[in-house]
Amino acid sequence: MDYYLILARSVTYAQRMQWALERVGLRCQIYRAPRELTDLGCAYAVQLAAADLKTALIALHREALDPVQIFLNQRGIFREVGHDLL
Amino acid sequence: MIYFDSAATTFQKPPAVASAMQEALKTMSSPGRGGYPAAMRAAETAFQCRSELAELFGVGNPERVVFTSNATHGLNIAIQSLVPPGGRVVVSGYEHNAVTRPLEALKADVVTAEAPLFDQQAVIAAFDRFVGPGVDAVVCNHISNVFGFILPIEKIAAICQERGVPMIIDASQSAGVLRLEMDRLGAAFIAMPGHKGLYGPQGTGVLLCGENVPVKPLMQGGTGSLSMQQEMPDFLPDRLEAGTHNVPGIAGLLAGVRFVRQRGMTDILDRERRLTLLAVEGLRAIPGVKVFAMPGLRAQAGVLSFVPEHKDVEEIGGGLAESGIAVRSGIHCAPFAHRSAGTLDTGTVRLSFSDFNTREEVYRLLSVLPGLLR
Repeated sequence: MDYYLILARSVTYAQRMQWALERVGLRCQIYRAPRELTDLGCAYAVQLAAADLKTALIALHREALDPVQIFLNQRGIFREVGHDLL
Repeated sequence: MIYFDSAATTFQKPPAVASAMQEALKTMSSPGRGGYPAAMRAAETAFQCRSELAELFGVGNPERVVFTSNATHGLNIAIQSLVPPGGRVVVSGYEHNAVTRPLEALKADVVTAEAPLFDQQAVIAAFDRFVGPGVDAVVCNHISNVFGFILPIEKIAAICQERGVPMIIDASQSAGVLRLEMDRLGAAFIAMPGHKGLYGPQGTGVLLCGENVPVKPLMQGGTGSLSMQQEMPDFLPDRLEAGTHNVPGIAGLLAGVRFVRQRGMTDILDRERRLTLLAVEGLRAIPGVKVFAMPGLRAQAGVLSFVPEHKDVEEIGGGLAESGIAVRSGIHCAPFAHRSAGTLDTGTVRLSFSDFNTREEVYRLLSVLPGLLR
């Protein structure tokens, strides 16, 4: 199933994102970011269903929680997508 | 043992504190160091603790809640972040060595806003006089660890805000008993221990950081973030939290914070002040004891000092210890405060209460003390 990974700068930031998303009723999980997605070293990402991205970005923007990067996973392949999806 | 040394460390903790620590030891590893369940449980506990502290102290963003090993650690970070070597700093006359020693190490030009004990108006007037252009920071105790004197922190913060001078608050004695609203006060930093009024274990502390205040790490090292980069991350809390966290301590602190929130800070303070008042009245009835308190405990929390007029304070402290009563005697790491109150030569015997003390314990102290004074 397709999903998005929203990269966070730290585990605490990812947790803030998770809280913000859960407050608007979105289910999401925090995972370690796959090494192939970031050249910054260790990172965390919030995973959410593809259909939830727009609502998620609105909620995160409202709380000034801007993602580092956003990736779409389709059939096991990651592709970076822009922040300007709204 | 009857324990009246909570200004140093609260010894009796809510049972949930030890349980939480034991659970953390069994089930948690380290936050930010993995995606496996033990690491994520640790991360959840740390985040929960930051979030509840942020709510308790009016911090808009839990990332600005930094874990330290004690209040001294936080004060050192705060001071080194704001005060350049030789910088000018205004402090109250009631500061602890946790403030004055770091300033001495920086060879800071320290101006003391001196004021008589329990005179809040004089404190405000002194800060009003000294805070202005050229001052790098103000550092002020919220409650004196020696006398329980409550300093008018809100008025001092307003002076600092109006004049654009960053303020560091030492909340070592007030965290958990007096309301502190970080963002409303506009403080640059508030440092506090976890092991006193928040009822967490020793080895825990918290530094609340103001929004967009520059922070200088005391230590560099791994943070579990931006690992390819050789500089410390420029964001909180990672910038100030190098190395593995004290996860059992944080779990215990979270349990302590929940206890305080459930009990209510006002109720805890009321209880401690009632015991203080009882001790004041009893001590005043004993000949040869000088007690430091104003009528009605004006401007005073649950910390009380007295001086035996014809005995050494250490002798009294030792005698009480032999009777199973733990108090603190001496200078209490705060020569500034003793200089302000005129007790630098003698020191004082200090009683400091927690939510777990009782009236019966105070009566016991009052019954033992006359024998030691003879």
